[in-house]
Amino acid sequence: MAQLRTSVGSTALGALLLAGTAMMPAGARAADGLAKGDTSDKTIAFSNSYAGNSFRQVMIKSFEEAGAQAAKDHVIKGTTVVSANNSVTEQAAQMQNLILQGYSAIIVLAGSDTALNGVVKDACDAGIVVVAFASGVTEPCAYRVDYDLDSYGKAELDYLAGRIGDKSANLLEIRGAAGDGFDKRLHAGVEKAMKDHPSYKIANEVYGAWTAAVAQKEVSGVLPSLPKIDGVLTQGGDGYGAAMAFESAGRPLPVIIMGNRQDELALWKKQHQANGYETMSLGATPSVSQVAFWVAQQILAGKKVPKFVEVPLLRIDQPDLDAWLAKVPEGGVVNATYDQKLAGDIIDANIDHKPLPGVPAPK
Amino acid sequence: MSPLAGRRSLGRLSLAPWTYGFVVALAMWIATTAYAGLGSAGATAASALAFGAFSVVVGTGQMLVIASGPGNIDLSVPSVLTLAAYVAMAVMHGSDGLILPGLAAALAVGAVAGALNYLAITALRLPPIIATLAWSFVFQSFAYNFGGDATLKPPAVLSSFTALRIGDVQVMPLAVMVLTGVAVVLLRRTLFGRRLLATGQSERAANLAGVRVGRVRLLAYMLCGTAAALTGFLLSGFTGGASLNMGDAYLMESIAVVVLGGTSVAGGQANAVGIWGAALFFNLMATMLNTFHFQAGVRFLLTGTLIILIVAIVPRPRAV
Repeated sequence: MAQLRTSVGSTALGALLLAGTAMMPAGARAADGLAKGDTSDKTIAFSNSYAGNSFRQVMIKSFEEAGAQAAKDHVIKGTTVVSANNSVTEQAAQMQNLILQGYSAIIVLAGSDTALNGVVKDACDAGIVVVAFASGVTEPCAYRVDYDLDSYGKAELDYLAGRIGDKSANLLEIRGAAGDGFDKRLHAGVEKAMKDHPSYKIANEVYGAWTAAVAQKEVSGVLPSLPKIDGVLTQGGDGYGAAMAFESAGRPLPVIIMGNRQDELALWKKQHQANGYETMSLGATPSVSQVAFWVAQQILAGKKVPKFVEVPLLRIDQPDLDAWLAKVPEGGVVNATYDQKLAGDIIDANIDHKPLPGVPAPK
Repeated sequence: MSPLAGRRSLGRLSLAPWTYGFVVALAMWIATTAYAGLGSAGATAASALAFGAFSVVVGTGQMLVIASGPGNIDLSVPSVLTLAAYVAMAVMHGSDGLILPGLAAALAVGAVAGALNYLAITALRLPPIIATLAWSFVFQSFAYNFGGDATLKPPAVLSSFTALRIGDVQVMPLAVMVLTGVAVVLLRRTLFGRRLLATGQSERAANLAGVRVGRVRLLAYMLCGTAAALTGFLLSGFTGGASLNMGDAYLMESIAVVVLGGTSVAGGQANAVGIWGAALFFNLMATMLNTFHFQAGVRFLLTGTLIILIVAIVPRPRAV
């Protein structure tokens, strides 16, 4: 039986690959490794919608480190970062400036899915490569580097299903910010995944703004009105606050999906040592800015890159907890370095529709 | 304002402006409890008191500034709160023995920030709205560079103090109530308090009466910065550390609790006790709307509408 399923699976996969190859013009989009075109005179700018939290600070640093190293190695000429203060008009103005300054490529973390379309189009028309990452930009001339948030929601619920089983369970969903694109897409992923678990009920949802303090306040507020909660769905940055709220309400800790923050992992470890508590941690990596950087560099070097490049989420399970915890700075976010080769592998995996290369656990 | 005035308005079957927050908060508490069951009443109130306490500390500082005269407002509150929390966490470095130096550092940051705010207002003749907003960017940048890529952790003793309960009584909200009492005495019984209100009512008259208006306002801004800093210090103990966006929620809230609490935006009149009612109202409203499973859009709509309604209904003291 198992044998049969495997062979059916591999045939299906083979057929899928064949179909994929057949649809593509011969050779044009083959996974051909890194493009070697000379980009040593190219400049890459990073237009960032907001810098006011630790995640974005690390994201900026990751980009600057990759850029400085690449400039030192004469892969590119230089980089710059401009951050808007959560205002799309400000970000649009800053991008106009980057166009005038003649950058070869702009990677952009957009404050809005649509509001920057005009300026993105202007940049494309000026011959600038635009790579939008970790955010939606609907202007088709831009390349997109992003997570698959459906798989984020699915992974959370699949993990809970593995722990709770099919019996009926109450979940609490902590969302990000109302109206935010990331929040909308991840929530849609959760809703899709919930269909596979009809015995689960989302008892309530609150907005935690990806911040421990806000999540703690919001969860504390609704907790008295809720029945026993079995699992908490999160979006990253909110797991610790949720745990504090359960703790101060004197309730047992449910399975809270963590979001790769050091305080969350430390709490998880402490609980594991005290009473065998187990959960998993899933999240975006701030260094996705490095993937976007290398994607832009590869496009400039002449590589045919698909318009959408999916980047893997970083997942931590119980066996790897200690290794990751040892590596993450106190109070910081779990991060991983994406070098040119790993970014190239990610692009090629997207071209071939193969599983994305995972981020290996530290030794 | 005085007990007598309260009694007179009761006689006309209307309540003093500052009581409205308490009344609405009570109504929301009852509504939430009715929906979620009697068992939730205590926990709902406890959570509103704990988080309301932070709003009260920031609001009390803001009240002093607003009362000091028309146009006076401190928009740097969120960034002073954040910066002070970062400085305090960095000084304490998670060590229980350094809590007092950490607190002192936080308060010093707040006082200096307040002084800088007032200096920009008077020396550069900037409107307070612009001066404090401009400084807020500067303070926020300092926080970015003070280890903004991590959440700095508080010492264990500070965390357990902010969450401490004796029996069923939470200690921190109680301590903040004492602080409110101090603010009441400050406003009613001290020279500074009387001078502050006199300055707020008429700068010219106060000046002619021999009040050194500049010095009074300077102190008001410094106390406001100090209150924001104290909030940052306590909040980072309660929520597990200083983070860059911890102050964001307190910009609107610090002003709204003051106005809803019965303090006149025109200055010259202040109410410290009313801030508690308004702070409880804000927290219980969020809880109630969450408990009722309203969509986010509806929550915002109702929040805004309720604030406008209450401010409109509350009887205003007639112009002097």
